Amino acid sequence: MKQYIARRVGYSLLSLFLLSLTIFLFIRLTGDPAALLVEPGASAQDIENIHRRLGLDRPLWEQYWLFVASFVQGDLGLSFYYRTPVLDLYLQRLPNSLLLAAVAMAFSLLIGIPSGILAAVRVGRMWDSAGKMFALLGLSLPSFWVGLVLILVFTVWLGWLPSSGAGTAAHVVMPAFALGWYFAAAHMRLTRSSMLEVLGSEYVKLARLKGLPEALVIGKHAFKNALIPVITLAGINLVVMINVAVVVETVFAWPGIGRLLYEGISFRDFPVVQGVVVIGGAMIVLVNLAVDIVYALIDPRIRLAR
Amino acid sequence: MGSSGGRSSRLPGALSRSRAAQQTTVLHLNRRQLLALGGFAALAGGGLDEALAATPDGQLTWAVHVSLAPTWFDPAETPGMITPFMLLYALHDAMVKPMPGKTAAPCLAETWKVAPDGLSYEFTLRDGVKFHNGEPVTAEDVKFSFERYRGTSSSVMKARVASVETPDARTVRFVLKKPWPDFLTFYSSATGAGWIVPKKYVEQVGDEGFKKAPIGAGPYKFVSFTPGVELTFEAFEGYWRKKPAVKRLVLRVIPEEATRLAALKRGEVDIAYSIRGELAEELQRTPGFTLKPVVIQGTFWVYFPEQWDPKSPWHDLRVRKAAALAMDCKSISEALTLGHSKIVNSIIPYNFDFFWQPPPAVYDPKQARALLAEAGFKSGFDAGDYYCDASYANVAEAVLNNLQEAGIRVKLRPLERAAFFSAYAEKKLKNLIQGASGAFGNAATRLDAFVIKGGAYAYGNYEDIDTLFAQQAVELDQKKRTELLHKIQQLMHERQVYAPIWQLAFINGQSNRVKESALGLIEGHAYSAPYEDVAINKS
Repeated sequence: MKQYIARRVGYSLLSLFLLSLTIFLFIRLTGDPAALLVEPGASAQDIENIHRRLGLDRPLWEQYWLFVASFVQGDLGLSFYYRTPVLDLYLQRLPNSLLLAAVAMAFSLLIGIPSGILAAVRVGRMWDSAGKMFALLGLSLPSFWVGLVLILVFTVWLGWLPSSGAGTAAHVVMPAFALGWYFAAAHMRLTRSSMLEVLGSEYVKLARLKGLPEALVIGKHAFKNALIPVITLAGINLVVMINVAVVVETVFAWPGIGRLLYEGISFRDFPVVQGVVVIGGAMIVLVNLAVDIVYALIDPRIRLAR
Repeated sequence: MGSSGGRSSRLPGALSRSRAAQQTTVLHLNRRQLLALGGFAALAGGGLDEALAATPDGQLTWAVHVSLAPTWFDPAETPGMITPFMLLYALHDAMVKPMPGKTAAPCLAETWKVAPDGLSYEFTLRDGVKFHNGEPVTAEDVKFSFERYRGTSSSVMKARVASVETPDARTVRFVLKKPWPDFLTFYSSATGAGWIVPKKYVEQVGDEGFKKAPIGAGPYKFVSFTPGVELTFEAFEGYWRKKPAVKRLVLRVIPEEATRLAALKRGEVDIAYSIRGELAEELQRTPGFTLKPVVIQGTFWVYFPEQWDPKSPWHDLRVRKAAALAMDCKSISEALTLGHSKIVNSIIPYNFDFFWQPPPAVYDPKQARALLAEAGFKSGFDAGDYYCDASYANVAEAVLNNLQEAGIRVKLRPLERAAFFSAYAEKKLKNLIQGASGAFGNAATRLDAFVIKGGAYAYGNYEDIDTLFAQQAVELDQKKRTELLHKIQQLMHERQVYAPIWQLAFINGQSNRVKESALGLIEGHAYSAPYEDVAINKS
């Protein structure tokens, strides 16, 4: 078991190393941040000064080494744009992102799971078609469009909700719905297919033969088992919602990590982009590592397999 | 006094506003004095109403299009871009700065004089001016602010300034190593070196502490800042120029344009920056709201980087003239900025010192085709690539259509902004380049970067123009210097070094709750300023 865990930890560290190297190199392919920190027409001397101040005059390997060495000590560097430690920026935005992700997840589960169950139970009938249509719209309508329509209806026409910003419960409604809408469709599809699989299984047939009420068969025997893959997907989606709700946070001026990433990309703020991506990646790697270890604890075949 | 005087003859509206503001200042001072001296007599004579009216009141909220960075709270870090001045004009004050009707108006410096040999500039500080913490603004603060300045052009300034002397608390003398006619341009508008911070306070709290709780000598005090959300200022009643009329200013960050418009329409904000195209048209149609376009100092142009290559069609002046004649800049402005962008026919902003007004731009596709035919391109020609910053690809598409109609066939190559300007500066682009600049300065600084040999964005040069430029750089006589710089611009126009497009209008919206947004009061400045002039419509 120890060997298994050591191997998984090794793979996780390798993944993080590759992720950090990839993002470090890719963000540098997008252009010179100094060009965005001055107006066109700035002198070469000014641009050189900016390079020196931001540490961009050093060799690439040295920049990478500094980034990794600082990262392992919990220092993500100083934002080029804000001139503030990236970790501070991340932690300032994290509560907002957690709130948005939690409410969006609640929306997505509350909409996605019941509609998925209904579609599976009434397969091939009106509810199923409506569910499929909902999934199609949810997955295909871009979230910025959904966001703008929500603003038009609930802010401009009805005047019920604030257009943007954060601070009150009313502020979170529209961004959470716009973000949760896409994931609701994904959760609905998975719930439906998972339920269909479970409903066709032997033990559900047995439960029905025993004469159990249909509500009990669906609610207790089928739903509980069908929920496992949905919860697994929801866990991963939660990490995604926290870290990369870029479009929704920008449309609604929600001060979260997604918008921080957007600002980082817009201004070629290398430390911000590197920091946000590597922290997001580390979260996913840690979740996967935990899942691998739990699976291995439950099922010996996994840890014994090469 | 060595005030430049600007080009007031072209700015009658702005000048009259400036005069009105000065008169108001006098009136406020008299009221304060009356209240202090007259006591009951003033109150009995209706002075109470006047006193209340003079007290800053209410709140105005802006929807800002960019994320506000705390680094902009500190003038020492001013980058060479216009955005930080959105905050500097509220929080801080400068010795000399652009104000309504003047490109270099006396502010913390009441007067200044230039030594006859051009080797020193002596400023006299305004008496009784205080920072927000009540400390007086002194010559030591001015020296300290200059010495700690590390923003744009800091190395250029420090290389040319031999020393900063402070003979007394109200006098500051900048001694130059050799005459530098552009010293005041750099000190007053092209950099943040002339914006003054309190020495004692900065030394006490340090650079990081200053960014968290900045103190300045501007019309508004810092109250709070939530990164990514909003920034709040409160009126500083002791501001020397005039007591601000509005108590609180809130700058709320809303990056998405449609959301800014929704926030404006719902009354969440009073002024929204950058509302363009169809959204601007919609705002124009909505009762209770006004469009507030501001022509900023950003000029756009088409550059012919191959004009020095005898093998290139662009070497032929007739071909360059044809391209300029083919461009319908007025229609492009109408289509993209509702006609508010100004067709100046120059790469130098019209509000810059030493600007020479070329003849108006002419759109004549027939003449363009005739010139092409004369140059041996009767059926037009394939002109290669047209590079532009992708964020202004809409302008490029319009220009491209015009060129195409005249027979100049080019392919659009939009590049991401950072990549575009890097490639432009590294001289990697060819055929045609759609360039732009919003850099501060005057005609000389703009020419230095884009026309003169060795300029960051100059792909070639003309020797006679370089000679004239070298002469003006050491010319202390303003009149002669103006003549030299006008001559250069004239030659550029005749040789069609560039085909200018426009001077961009930054379009904003405001609700009727706003009496004075201060947008456009300072020529070329993109944002509301001076903030002490903003007012709420009480009715």
